[in-house]
Amino acid sequence: MKHPGEIRLTLYAGGELGWWEQFALTRHLHRCPACRRRVEMYRNDRKVISEALTGSDEFADWERLAAEMTANIHLGLAAGECVEQARAERTRPRWQRAIILAPIVLPVLVLAVVLLRMGQNPTATGKMDWVEGTLIETTGGSIEWRQGTAGLSLQIPPGGAVTYLVNARGEVRARYVDEETGQVTIHNVYAQ
Amino acid sequence: MCTRNRIVLALFVGCWIVSAQPPATEARSSLKVDFPKDSPVAVVGFDMGDSVTTTRGSAIVIDLRTLLTLRNAGSRRLRGVTLLVSTQESAVGGRASVSVPSLNVEPGGTFPVRINLRLLRPLAPAGPLVTVTLDGALFEDLSFFGPNLLNSRRSMMVWELEAQRDRRYFKSVLSASGPEVLREKLLESLARQAARPRLDVQVTRGRATNIDAARTVQFAFLGPAGAPVEPVAGSAMVSGGEARATSLEVINRSKRTVRYFEVGLILRDDTGREYLAGSVPASDPDLNLAPGARTRVTQDSTLRFMAAGGRPLAIAGLTGYVSQVEFADGSIWIPDRRALADPRLAEVVTPSPEEQRLADLYRRKGLQAVIDELSKF
Repeated sequence: MKHPGEIRLTLYAGGELGWWEQFALTRHLHRCPACRRRVEMYRNDRKVISEALTGSDEFADWERLAAEMTANIHLGLAAGECVEQARAERTRPRWQRAIILAPIVLPVLVLAVVLLRMGQNPTATGKMDWVEGTLIETTGGSIEWRQGTAGLSLQIPPGGAVTYLVNARGEVRARYVDEETGQVTIHNVYAQ
Repeated sequence: MCTRNRIVLALFVGCWIVSAQPPATEARSSLKVDFPKDSPVAVVGFDMGDSVTTTRGSAIVIDLRTLLTLRNAGSRRLRGVTLLVSTQESAVGGRASVSVPSLNVEPGGTFPVRINLRLLRPLAPAGPLVTVTLDGALFEDLSFFGPNLLNSRRSMMVWELEAQRDRRYFKSVLSASGPEVLREKLLESLARQAARPRLDVQVTRGRATNIDAARTVQFAFLGPAGAPVEPVAGSAMVSGGEARATSLEVINRSKRTVRYFEVGLILRDDTGREYLAGSVPASDPDLNLAPGARTRVTQDSTLRFMAAGGRPLAIAGLTGYVSQVEFADGSIWIPDRRALADPRLAEVVTPSPEEQRLADLYRRKGLQAVIDELSKF
């Protein structure tokens, strides 16, 4: 967990942060007792000093002085951001970084889940790297047509011998005798 | 838990919920069997068996185990059917067919056709994902019914002519030499089928991404005697077990116009072993090859062959032989049994579907079953 700096905590204690930073820092304080204690300490100091200076001529215009100090602090912060932009980005709240990364992370996560759930991802199990586009191939007991993520295979019942023949036009044929019916059966799969 | 972890967890849970949606459709509703109303082959019913539909991530997997029961609603004996199996991907490919040749179904008789298929596709809108229709039915008088989208008429005609040729052959063996010689012929057929090496194949349209250096291999040609067309030259680019850019030049030696032909493709590997790999068909769908005319066939698909089990195969030579010719009037030429008795062809050419069926019938039920079967034709 990365803690906000002293200046931000001080501005927070005085209620002088912008509403967005105020909101983010409030969320941080909810789960960080250390920073919460420091903010309480700054608030107590502010109260004690304010009470001690009440009625003093030297600091009669206390409100003007406080506004001047706040402006100086803001000026210092802005100058620091100009000099060290990278540091400012590093200190961006995490929820903001998550939103920025979401368009990258989300597709990766979706892809990971899809691949995990697809037990037989065709591009992972077959020989799709050999060709681009449509592929027909014979496997142990079928003729398979594949194109991208789509696939169709005609499967041959286990049993007798199978003869595979290919036609140079792009057709693959399997011929076998069906053990149950005794009929010769011929499968054809066409590339187009 | 910090904010970032909460966001990551929420994203994961969201993705999981999306991917864990129940199957978009049930297996039965995935299949539509749709025959023409005037079809001479009717659907009696279909059993979906243990078909299942499952969802895997963003894809749906349909395992169909279908046994269709069809009836010959025509007035002649049915010799074969071809069913077109199409999917919603058919617009970009993905068509298949299941054919059953060598049938002998009397009018009113029923017969089964088994279709086992697996479809993998992205999650789809509702509606049937697989449609089975009739592409063609062939009857004993060689009349044909069907839309013929897959040119199944030609294939079924070839199978039927081969069946008639081989039944004639086995009947002549039986009548001339007796049952024991018929048994020997059936045993020889079974032995040849068992000895034929099996090839696995991949095919794709266009060029593969394989960057191995390819060389041009010229075709050699075998008869058969009497073929209406004669291949005179041919070549393919070969690299390892891969052949592409197949090209053939043929002459029409007959006195009739040729509409279609196929040249059987025999591979020889680097050990000298030969395999029947398939065929090179005519590439021009509007071919009208006049008597004496020449034409060139070019096919841009890439074929990759592997010995059974995925063992690499190195193509050392290519041999072609004319395996079928269709004339302009629709009649078909196939090699006769004598031409196929050429030792080199006999060793590699696959038996016809009918010879395969009869030999298998002998294996399962014995010689008398084959004799009884032959007597039905």
